[in-house]
Amino acid sequence: MRLRFVPSARRITASLSLLAIAVLTGGWSNSVLPVSGPQSTFDTQGPVARAQLDVFYVTVWVTLAIFVIVAGVLAYATFKFRVKDIDPNRPMPPQGHGNPLVELGLIAASIGALVIIAVPTLRAIWYTYDVPEEHRANAYEVNAIGLQWWFKFEYPLEQIEGAGPLVTGNELVIPAGRPVRINLRTTDVIHSFWVPKLGGKVDMIPNRGNHMWLQADNPGYFWGQCAEFCGESHAVMRFRVIALGAEDFAAWVEAQKQPARSVEAPAPGTPVATFASYDMTRKKRNAPGYSAEFDRDPMAAWTAFQFPDKDEDAALIARGRELFREKACVTCHAVRGHEGMGVTGPDLTHFGSRTTLAAGLLENTKEHLHRWIVHPNDVKPGNKMWMGIGTHTNVTMTGYLAWDGETKSYTGKRHIEVNDEEARALVEYLHSLK
Amino acid sequence: MATATTAAYTAPEAKPASRPWFFARPAAKTGLVGWLTTVDHKKIGLLYAITSLFFFLVGGIEALLIRVQLAVPNNTFISHQLYNELFTMHATTMIFLAVMPLSAAFFNYMMPLQIGARDVAFPRLNGFAFWVFMAGAILLNVGWFTKAGAPDVGWFGYAPLTSNAYSNQFVGDVSTDLWIIGLQVLGVSSVIGSLNFIVTIINMRAPGLTMMRLPVFTWMTLFTAFLIILSFPAITIALVELMMDRSFGTGFFEVAMGGMPILWQHLFWIFGHPEVYILILPAMGIVSEILPTFARKPLFGYPIVVFSGAVIGFLGFGVWSHHMFTTGMGTIATAAFSLATMAIAVPTGVKIFNWVGTLWGGQIITRTPMMFALGFIWMFMMGGFSGVMHSAAPADAQQQDSYFVVAHFHYVLIGGSIFALLAGIHYWFPLVFGRIVSEFWGKLSFWVIFVGFNATFFPMHFLGLNGMPRRTAVYDGNMGWNNANLLATIGAFILAVGIGIYFAVIVYTYFKGKKTSHDIWDARTLEWTVPTTPPPEHNFHVTPTVHARDAFWYEKTHAKEIAAEKARVAAETEAHGGIHMPSQSWYPLVTAMGLFIGALFFAHHNYTGAIVGAGILLVGVLGWAFEGPGGYHLHVKPDGTVTGGEGQDEAKH
Repeated sequence: MRLRFVPSARRITASLSLLAIAVLTGGWSNSVLPVSGPQSTFDTQGPVARAQLDVFYVTVWVTLAIFVIVAGVLAYATFKFRVKDIDPNRPMPPQGHGNPLVELGLIAASIGALVIIAVPTLRAIWYTYDVPEEHRANAYEVNAIGLQWWFKFEYPLEQIEGAGPLVTGNELVIPAGRPVRINLRTTDVIHSFWVPKLGGKVDMIPNRGNHMWLQADNPGYFWGQCAEFCGESHAVMRFRVIALGAEDFAAWVEAQKQPARSVEAPAPGTPVATFASYDMTRKKRNAPGYSAEFDRDPMAAWTAFQFPDKDEDAALIARGRELFREKACVTCHAVRGHEGMGVTGPDLTHFGSRTTLAAGLLENTKEHLHRWIVHPNDVKPGNKMWMGIGTHTNVTMTGYLAWDGETKSYTGKRHIEVNDEEARALVEYLHSLK
Repeated sequence: MATATTAAYTAPEAKPASRPWFFARPAAKTGLVGWLTTVDHKKIGLLYAITSLFFFLVGGIEALLIRVQLAVPNNTFISHQLYNELFTMHATTMIFLAVMPLSAAFFNYMMPLQIGARDVAFPRLNGFAFWVFMAGAILLNVGWFTKAGAPDVGWFGYAPLTSNAYSNQFVGDVSTDLWIIGLQVLGVSSVIGSLNFIVTIINMRAPGLTMMRLPVFTWMTLFTAFLIILSFPAITIALVELMMDRSFGTGFFEVAMGGMPILWQHLFWIFGHPEVYILILPAMGIVSEILPTFARKPLFGYPIVVFSGAVIGFLGFGVWSHHMFTTGMGTIATAAFSLATMAIAVPTGVKIFNWVGTLWGGQIITRTPMMFALGFIWMFMMGGFSGVMHSAAPADAQQQDSYFVVAHFHYVLIGGSIFALLAGIHYWFPLVFGRIVSEFWGKLSFWVIFVGFNATFFPMHFLGLNGMPRRTAVYDGNMGWNNANLLATIGAFILAVGIGIYFAVIVYTYFKGKKTSHDIWDARTLEWTVPTTPPPEHNFHVTPTVHARDAFWYEKTHAKEIAAEKARVAAETEAHGGIHMPSQSWYPLVTAMGLFIGALFFAHHNYTGAIVGAGILLVGVLGWAFEGPGGYHLHVKPDGTVTGGEGQDEAKH
C-alpha cells in the first residue's frame, strides 16, 4: 500500500506545476487573478509609485533567478537521488560532511545578489522620502488628518477669510503634474494613507508629525484606503484622490472657497414632491455602494457632480436645511455660510460636489445618502454619527443613540430619529450644496 | 571549616519516618493525578502537544470563518466587530498557543533524549511552565464566553487603539485587559521553559556529547531558548506599561498625557521579530534531522548550519523596524533596517543551500516525514523570497499591511513552521507511540495540505499587489479582488480537509496503527537508542556515551565496542545506587493556579481577588521550596527488567 502512491505523486507534481504556470501567466494577463484594479500597485500614475514599482521589479527578478537555480537543483537532486526504500544490500551513500569552498562560494553569491537589490533600494528610499530638492519650489502642500473612520483634508495654502484654511472630507483634490507634499496627522488612533496608484502608504501616528509626497502625472481619479487597523470600521475607511489640470484645479479651489450654495425657498404653499422617486427599502449591511456606470468614467462622474441637479426641489431643500438644524446635525457638521458650525464631523459646505459619501464608501447618490442618514450603523458600524462623539465608554456629544451619562451606557433608546420623509428632505438639502 | 562541619555531621536518619500530607510526593504514574503532577519531560511534552494541537484546530476554525466572510465581496456572514476579534485571536492563537507550544512539545520530548539525559535540569519547573501556559491560553480565550467577546485590537495591539478610550465597547469591557495579562502569563511560561532548556543543554549532555556534536534540533532549541529569554522582556515591558495605563491611569501610550504610541511599536517588534525566528528555528531544526535520515547521509556543512542559526538569532534582534517602514522613521533608519533585513537573508539562504547539499548524492527515501520536509524547503523558499521583496523598503511601502504580507508570512509560518512540525510528528510518532502512520494516508494528507495551502495563499500575493489591505472585514466587488478571494477561500477548505485527514490518521494510528520497532527510519541521532517504545520513564537503561556527531549511526556501525561500553557504564551506575529519578509534585500546578486566579481577577480590575491569587501562588512556592528535593532510584537488570520506584527507596541527599 505504502509505495503504490509514488507514481501518482509524480503525476500530481507535474499537474501542479502546470497549474502554477497557468495561474501565473493567467494572473499577469489579468484574466484569473487581475492586478489592474482601482488600487493596483502595477498601474502606476506617478513618480513615487513608479520608483517603488521599479524596486519591486528588481527584487522580483533577482529572487526569481535565485529561485529558478536553487529550486532547479533541489528538484533535480530529489528525483535523481531518489530510491524506493531502505535496502540493506545497497551500499551506503558517501557520508560526506560538506564542502567549505562550495558553502563559502554560495554565501558570496547570495551577498552579491543582495547588493543588486540594495543599490536601487537605497536610491529609492531617499527619492520617495520627500519632494526632491529641485521640485520643492513647485510643490503643493496639503494636510491629511485621519479620524475614526474618515479622512479630513486641509489646504493650508488656500486660506478663507474668517474661516481658516479650506477644508474638505474624504476626497482629496490635488493639482496634476505637481508634487504634492502631504502632512499626515491623526486625532485618535493610528491610520495609514494609501493611494496605491500614486504611491505607497505612510502612517498617521498620534504625537508624531509624518509626511509623504506624491504626484499624479495626469488628471485622474484614484482610489485610496486606510491601511492600518484602526478599530471596528477600519475596512470601510476609504477615500478618493482627484487630480486636476492647473486651470481646473484653480477653478475648483475658487468654488470650494465660496460659502455654501443657497437655494431660495419657494413661496409658502407650493406643493412638495412625493417620495416615490427612489428606492428607500432598507439595504443589507455592507450592501455595495458602487456602480459599473460610475467606474467606467469616474472623472466624468466627478465633473457632473460639480453642477446643481436639474430636478432640484426648492421646497424640500428648504425643509432639509431646517431639519439639518433641528436634528442637531449642525453640532458636528460645518456648512459654511449656513447654520452648520460643528467641526467634529466632515465639513459639508460643498458636500454635493463630492462623488462619494461615508468616507469614500458609497457613491453620492440620493439612495445611498438616504440609507446613510437613516441607517448609518448598517453602513459603518460604530460610526460617531450613530454612537456619538467621544468613546463608547464616555460619549461627550450624543449621536443617534441616547446616552446616559450617569451609568455611562447607552440607554437603548434613540436620541435622534430621522424618518424617511425627513431623510428625503435632508438628502435634497445636502445634494444642493454644490 | 567546611571539612570540620562535615566531620561533625552525622546523618540523623537515612529515611525520614513520614512526611506531613502536604509535603507527600504523589507517586501515581497514570491517571489524572499522574498527569497533573508529572515532572516527566515526555509526559509534559505530550501535554504541550495535545494542548497546542487543540488550539491549532481552534485557530484554524477562526481562519475558516474569516475566509468564509471574505469569499465574496460585500458579505454579511459575520460583523466587523466579530471579524476583528477573529483575526486578532487567529494570530494570537496560532503564534502563542499553537506553533510556539508545539515547538515546546518537541523541545520537551526530544531534546533530553537527543542529549542522552534522563530529564530536564529542573523537572518541577518544567511542569510549572506547562501549567502556566495553560493559564495563559485560558486567559486569552475566556473572552469568547463573555459579553465583550474576545480581544479585538489585533495581535500586535498598536497603541493607542488598546487604550481604555478606543478599545472598550462599554464600561467594564476587559477583553483587552485579558489579552494583556494573558500574553504576560504566556511570557512567564516561555521564559521559564527556555531557561530550563538552556541549563539542560549546557549541563546535562551525555559523556562525549560535545557542543559541536549536538544534533541540529538541539542546537536550534538552544538558540530559540536564548531568543525567548532575550526578546520576551521587551514585550513584557510594553505590556506592563500598557497595563499600567489601563489599570492605574499612567500615560506611557496616552496621547493626551504626552505618551508616545510609536514607542509601543518599537517595544513590540523588538520582541516581535525575534519571535518570527522563535517560530521558525525549531522547524529548521526538525527538518535538519529529517533530511539526513531520509537521505542516508550526514547533514551537509553541519558547522555552517549551526552557525547560521546563531547568526539568524543574533541579526534577528537588529531588524525589528522593517515592520515599521511606513511609520516615517526617516531615511537613515529605514536604510539601515532595510540593509540589515537583506543581510539576514544570507544565513537563511545558507540553510537552504545546505539542505539541498544534504540531499545531493544521498539515497532519498520519500516517506511521509520526508515529503513534509521537502515541502517545507519549497514553501519556505517562497516565503523567504517574498521576504527579500519586503526588505526593500520602497517596495514594502506598497506591500506593508496588504495581502502580500499575509501571503508572505503564511508561506513562512504554514509552509515553513507548520509543515516542519507536521513532518516532526510523523517522524517521531513511531518513537513516541511505537506505531507507524500509514504511508498512503500520510502522503495523501500531505498532498491535500500542499495543494490547499498554495491555493489559499498564492493568490494573496496578487490581492496585495492589487491593493487589498489586510484586516478588512469587507471589500467591494469592483476592486478586482473577487477571483483571488474566492480561490483563497476554496483553498482554505481544501487545506482544512488535508489537516482533517492528517489528524484523523494520527488519532487512528494512535489506537489502531501498525506496531513497529522504533528505529523504523534507520535514524542517526541519540533519541532513537531508547530501549523501548514508548521510551521508559528513565529514557535509557544506560546513559549513552557519544563518540560521533551522528551518535546512533556510530553505535550501529560499532555495535560490539558500544555493547561493552554500555555494560561497563551500567555497572558503574548500579554501584552508585542506580538511576536517579525526580519525584512528582503538586506544587507546580498549585503555583500556576495561583497565577491564573490572580491574573484573571487583575484583568477584571478586582484587586482583592488578585491578592488572593497571589496568596495561592505564594503557598505554592513555599510548598515547592519546603517539600524537599525528593527523588528515587531505579535499577535495571542486565535482562532489561526495571525495579525500584517512588516510595521503594528514598534518595539520599
